[in-house]
Amino acid sequence: MENKSQASNNQHQSKWTLRNIILIALIAIFCGIIFWGIGFLYTALTVALTPIGAAPFANDILMGLWCMAGPLTGFIIRTAGSAFLGEFLGAAVEVFLGGQWGAGAFISGLVQGIGSELGFTFTGYKRYDWVSLNASIFTTVVVTFAWDMIKNGYDKFALPLLIGLFITRYISTFIFGGIVTKMIVKLLDRSNAFNL
Amino acid sequence: MTDVSISDFTYQYPKSETKVLNDLNLTFKHNHFSLLSGPSGSGKSTLLYFIAGLYPRFIGNDATGTIKFGDTNIKDIPRNHVSNHVAMMFQNPNQQFAMDTVIHELTFVLENIQTQPDQMDKIIDHALTFCGIEKLRDRIINTLSGGEKQRVALSCIVAMDAPVIVLDEPFASIDPDSRIDLIHKLKELQEKHGKTIILADHDLGNYQGVIDEFYYLDPQTHHIDLLNQAESQHFFDNFESTQTIDKQLALPPKNDKNSVIELRHFKLAPHDSLLLQLDHFNFYRQKTTLITGANGIGKSTLFNALTKLLPYAGIISYDGKNIKKIKPLNYAKNVTLLFQDAENQFLNVTVKEELDLSFSNRFNQDYTHEQVEQMLTQLGMQGRDEQVVYSLSEGQKKKLQIVEMLIMNPPVLLLDEPFKGLDYKSLRLMTDFLELAKTKYGQTQIIISHQLSGLEDLIDYHAHFENQNLTYQEVI
Amino acid sequence: MNPGMKLLLVVLTALEISFTQSLIVNVILIAISFVYVMVKRMNFKTLFLLIFWPLFPALGLFVSQWLYGSDGIHFAWVLFTRIYAYVFLGATFTLTSSITDLALTLEQDFRLPSKFAYGVLAAFNLMPKIREEVQIIKTSALMRGEVFHVWSPKLYFKAILSSIQWSQNLAEAMTSHGFVEDEPRTHYRVIRITVLDWAMFAFLIIAVQVMLFFIRY
Ligand SMILES: Nc1ncnc2c1ncn2[C@@H]1O[C@H](COP(=O)(O)OP(=O)(O)OP(=O)(O)O)[C@@H](O)[C@H]1O
Ligand SMILES: Nc1ncnc2c1ncn2[C@@H]1O[C@H](COP(=O)(O)OP(=O)(O)OP(=O)(O)O)[C@@H](O)[C@H]1O
Ligand SMILES: [Mg+2]
Ligand SMILES: [Mg+2]
Repeated sequence: MENKSQASNNQHQSKWTLRNIILIALIAIFCGIIFWGIGFLYTALTVALTPIGAAPFANDILMGLWCMAGPLTGFIIRTAGSAFLGEFLGAAVEVFLGGQWGAGAFISGLVQGIGSELGFTFTGYKRYDWVSLNASIFTTVVVTFAWDMIKNGYDKFALPLLIGLFITRYISTFIFGGIVTKMIVKLLDRSNAFNL
Repeated sequence: MTDVSISDFTYQYPKSETKVLNDLNLTFKHNHFSLLSGPSGSGKSTLLYFIAGLYPRFIGNDATGTIKFGDTNIKDIPRNHVSNHVAMMFQNPNQQFAMDTVIHELTFVLENIQTQPDQMDKIIDHALTFCGIEKLRDRIINTLSGGEKQRVALSCIVAMDAPVIVLDEPFASIDPDSRIDLIHKLKELQEKHGKTIILADHDLGNYQGVIDEFYYLDPQTHHIDLLNQAESQHFFDNFESTQTIDKQLALPPKNDKNSVIELRHFKLAPHDSLLLQLDHFNFYRQKTTLITGANGIGKSTLFNALTKLLPYAGIISYDGKNIKKIKPLNYAKNVTLLFQDAENQFLNVTVKEELDLSFSNRFNQDYTHEQVEQMLTQLGMQGRDEQVVYSLSEGQKKKLQIVEMLIMNPPVLLLDEPFKGLDYKSLRLMTDFLELAKTKYGQTQIIISHQLSGLEDLIDYHAHFENQNLTYQEVI
Repeated sequence: MNPGMKLLLVVLTALEISFTQSLIVNVILIAISFVYVMVKRMNFKTLFLLIFWPLFPALGLFVSQWLYGSDGIHFAWVLFTRIYAYVFLGATFTLTSSITDLALTLEQDFRLPSKFAYGVLAAFNLMPKIREEVQIIKTSALMRGEVFHVWSPKLYFKAILSSIQWSQNLAEAMTSHGFVEDEPRTHYRVIRITVLDWAMFAFLIIAVQVMLFFIRY
């Protein structure tokens, strides 16, 4: 993946222009709405898995989708805080759409936002490639998982179950936050869409 | 005195080979109503964006030459004072407003230009009354029809009270009555409130006798000329000659034999209020049906129901089959919609990619590459392969949109305002293409259009939308 | 109550109950929030949905903790009620405050730069249009012979293209409506955080602390 993306003509001025702020918010809302559309899938999975007590897997299987807005906005607006803002707003949309999480979504949004942002922070907002994307996936998985240990009581599970959940989440995040995101960014790069 | 004077002005879009505006020298006079005309894609919008101070800020490169308001160069005006000089109204009524309701938007506008809060009520009342939309005061902007949104946009401009008002084809999606009304509102702003008005439009209807000056942007030379009395008369006459239309049409047969889409016990009320109720209505195979009706009556909504984008009550059947029972992809291949907003049709970035997508996924092989190439050339769209579709002018977007859907060549094509923003010449070409699709490939076409002239040869039936009813008429 | 303070209160409380394990406090919070939204008049359909949808994840968490958790049924109940506490706490905010007011107070009282307040607000106001747009993108793809799923990169690609385009249009429109980044503006409706707001905020937050301190079950 090349580092071509994003408008390069205004390098000197802050990237937090009105336009970029709106752009991040719009992308976040689009993502929020697309995921919201599969809310029933989540519910169905939960219902199917509840009798065997494996409902948390529903959460972990779909985790990657919920964490897509962050890496996407992080890649498109390359500046500190954009991944966080995108992810957080994406979650906030769920709250206003009347999702099933209420205030929980705000907090998940904060946590997921920090998760995806950290990956870009660790790579110094310098590189935007497979490495930083993977860093972001890694931090997202770790941070959100740590959070679920507390919030959803994962810490009370036995180690094998815990490992199972962690791996599921990693795979899901890798597929959606990684592979799908990369494919999207590739489409955008190839099409020069950032120079629109 | 705030003449808008433009000198030695030249502009070329980044990555494009030609200068859209070449060495312009002209002055839009203070307290005059100036009309800027020119065919689609000639550069009208581009110039207006510069006058409104939006370019070069929102575009990659700058122009050479100067634009002055009176004696002040636009470049010397601090960013937060630009609105004291000029206000702009856009071509596309969507994504124009930051706030949720009309009143909030007006307040937002006044806050931005730092009006004192105790003055605001008075200004807002005046602006709403002036535009005749007191009733819309507390409405949510998203639920307004295109025409209503344009009135709201105008009321914002009235509230801002800038001396120069720039309008970019503000009436493109507005029904004829509203159009006349709004043109007179603008005249009033000029005469009673001393505004300088610069308006771009290629539809010359209703301007004669209203405008003070007629400018023409020549697509060949990329120059703008002020026309004298005789020349502008010539333009108006030419335009008039294309406007007369009265054609007697047949009514469709009373039986259901040749129907392709049938509506039974059909009720359309997707947003609370009832828009349309039809017990028995047919659209006919291999015919072109024109649907007319005022802004906001529900025409686009009907198309949305026909394409399963919105819920409805009753039964719609296609080829004798309830459309709810037909698989989405299969149905979409048979009944295809040309969206009112061209950008909704685009899935890719460049013109070539868009055309290629249509070629690779089309439902049959009827159109040859050469044929399409020739169509594009006739429309003046050749050699734009690498241009980003979103950067096309409004008229060019429409042209591309129609061509790519013709390539798909579905059995039924629904067209929502396909001729919006097209000049007369392109319009006639389009009707020829559609005629061919109908006679040669057996396509059924249903067209929503405010623009009627030029369509007489294509239309077979005309249905008028009024009072929650759709009825076939014998005249256009 | 000032919407900004309310949001802060809701988020802080929700954060706290994520770290604590008091069943009773959860139930009390649910009850209080419930009464609050009822007083503020809510229709029954909303209420029903509010109770219905979270039932699945709440039950799912409950069962899995019950079967596999090391802390037994009490903790399972804590998780169950936690979900509902989130939902009802959230509802006290979303059902009774407008985002416009939130943006106004964030701009005026919380010193958020106006470009963030109004930029995000403008985007949020397009939310109904974005819902339609997602539908339109899928349909328009069908009409060109392509099927888009949630995992199709091209769906997001087009969504981002629309976002790029719309953000440009909106930014231009806001600019032409006189909005200039980082410039002072006047305010028709001045929203202040009143002493009463502060008092309520302090009282409620302390009440939560006290409850969490004394009620451990
Ligand atoms: N960003 C851009 N990059 C390259 N070319 C562009 C860009 N924007 C516009 N153009 C081209 O510049 C020309 C003038 O466009 P403009 O939108 O000003 O035309 P217009 O006169 O307003 O046409 P219409 O009546 O169809 O709206 C068109 O040929 C268009 O394709
Ligand atoms: N989301 C919505 N909520 C409520 N009302 C809406 C919504 N969307 C559209 N409407 C209303 O539905 C009516 C029909 O709109 P529609 O777009 O079908 O009109 P139209 O006949 O196509 O008009 P135009 O000629 O301006 O395109 C309008 O009065 C509009 O205000
Ligand atoms: Mg134009
Ligand atoms: Mg319409």
